[in-house]
Amino acid sequence: MTTLVLVGHGSHLNANSSAPIHAHAGELRRRALFERVLTGFWKEEPSLARVLDGCDDPEVVVVPVFISNGYFTKTVIPREMRLDGPVTVRGEQRIRYTRPIGADASLASVIVERALEAGATADDAIAVLGHGTRRESESEKNVYAMAEQVRETGRFAEAGAIFLDQEPGMLDLLDVFQAATVVVVPLFIADGWHVGQTIPAELALDGAETRMGGRTVRYTPPVGTHRQVVDVIERLANGTQE
Amino acid sequence: MTGALGELQIFALAVGVPGEPLHEITGTREAVFNHTRSDDHGRYRPLSGARTLPTGWSAPLGPGLSAEEAVEAVYPLALVHQRQFAEGTLRVVPLEDVLTRQSGRYEAGASLSESGRRLAVSTICGECVRKPVWADASCSHEEIPCPEACSVFVAFCREAAQWETGRPASAEPDATIAWAAFDQPGNELREHFLKEMDQPR
Repeated sequence: MTTLVLVGHGSHLNANSSAPIHAHAGELRRRALFERVLTGFWKEEPSLARVLDGCDDPEVVVVPVFISNGYFTKTVIPREMRLDGPVTVRGEQRIRYTRPIGADASLASVIVERALEAGATADDAIAVLGHGTRRESESEKNVYAMAEQVRETGRFAEAGAIFLDQEPGMLDLLDVFQAATVVVVPLFIADGWHVGQTIPAELALDGAETRMGGRTVRYTPPVGTHRQVVDVIERLANGTQE
Repeated sequence: MTGALGELQIFALAVGVPGEPLHEITGTREAVFNHTRSDDHGRYRPLSGARTLPTGWSAPLGPGLSAEEAVEAVYPLALVHQRQFAEGTLRVVPLEDVLTRQSGRYEAGASLSESGRRLAVSTICGECVRKPVWADASCSHEEIPCPEACSVFVAFCREAAQWETGRPASAEPDATIAWAAFDQPGNELREHFLKEMDQPR
């Protein structure tokens, strides 16, 4: 049996930031597929640096509950957890470090689910909204890959990526997509500051559905809080990555 | 296990924190965790050891919640660190190592002076039930040892390093400001640090 460690960002200011990780950990404990399910955070406790204290289990798998394969997954987590790479051997313990959930193709099905739950039809456009950053080009890759996966399902008239902090920006939403209804699916882990406050404020959203320029914009909850994310985590932990 | 650990009272049949009115919450790890995420003012508690546990609650122990699970929900890793400290196997990391390994926005914390670091310890760790053995604090076997500066402490050092280079104006401490919003005038820990900075040493 293996000990599973879900690692996330967390927050000093917003309890919602880590809520989905705690929820997914709870569900994984109920499924009883792993010896133990632990959680570790950059900005909450247990910290990344100490989450494995007292864990002597011979097999450990660490799954980053992050969207992008960027600064946190490549620099912060390995440094804080003293990981050598995809596999770290520490005495009798073997620690496997997986890709982030945002790098697993199966997450695209969760995006589709979010869109369908918001009433998306074959005539609509799906806008996969990522954070993005002008500082780290790697950050955008998973967002584009997810948008492409959604497009390839052929279930919607359009699908593409837009970003909070890089081009194409979310404020150009109605220029990027042509459909009468655009369903914005935030490719974020938590219903935190961005998803709950900054994005709705900047897009001037009224709620789940907003009329904008004679068209309709629907806004879904973030991908990371969806219950099916647990299946993505389980797949990564079991080494059956897509 | 029974007795007190930090602010938590542990009895044979229940755990909780005294206070009136006393109400019972569900006896599960999730319920205890969720209940202790905010203080009596409703403020989020990012530092589990902060002496701000909500008062006036108890959770029954039983099949859904052991005393050890309750302690883990309130003070993660406390029992592991207590045991390792007693055995002499606790891995203690010096503050210098923690600050110098930071990157990005937290790199700046390493420039905090020695006196600033001491003041940060008294300001942040003084509010926490864990004993910073990384700062040579004494810790009995009944207390919770802290082996490494936490992320809240690192974030505070980042702000304090900036205050040392250009002291901002003080403001009246405001208990409604988020506990860890150190960049906001009126934050109680920020105002305490700024006040103490001015004291002759």
